[in-house]
Amino acid sequence: MKTVLTTIFLSVAIFLAGCTVKVEAPDKPITINLNIKIEHEIRVKVDKDLDALFSKDSNLF
Amino acid sequence: MIYSKQLKKIWTLFLSLSLVGLLSFSTSLWAIDLQSAKSQGLVGETPSGYLATVKSSADTRALVEQVNDARKKLYQSIASRNGTSLQVVEVLAGKKAMAKATSGHYIKSASGNWIRK
Repeated sequence: MKTVLTTIFLSVAIFLAGCTVKVEAPDKPITINLNIKIEHEIRVKVDKDLDALFSKDSNLF
Repeated sequence: MIYSKQLKKIWTLFLSLSLVGLLSFSTSLWAIDLQSAKSQGLVGETPSGYLATVKSSADTRALVEQVNDARKKLYQSIASRNGTSLQVVEVLAGKKAMAKATSGHYIKSASGNWIRK
């Protein structure tokens, strides 16, 4: 009985050891939506600053 | 009786006018004025955000150099203020400058040719 249990235990252990999950990093970098949102905000602000610049100085623009 | 709020307003207006006055003075020293140069088809806007000569001469080259130097400084301050790169500001400025160009003025196409708007 003891031998049987031990055998069963060992078999399960070996079986599980052989079935380890492989973790691989994805090939493509993960794009986070947060980055796109920040970029848009910056673009809007820069655009606003440029508008002010263009309307202010006709000697430069 | 002048209230402190009015005084603040007067002071702000004075500062703004001085600044505008200073800027106008500092950019009017070249032989030809930018708007005249543009309407005569001597210089034009490009996608880079900077001015370029359509017809090269000592005057137009000097104008272009001075305008672009001043622009670069302004672009740099906008970039720093908004936490982005000079290149981003230049490209956005280029788009805006070309879009805002008056009809009859020259703009440079992506392929590098001068187009009369």
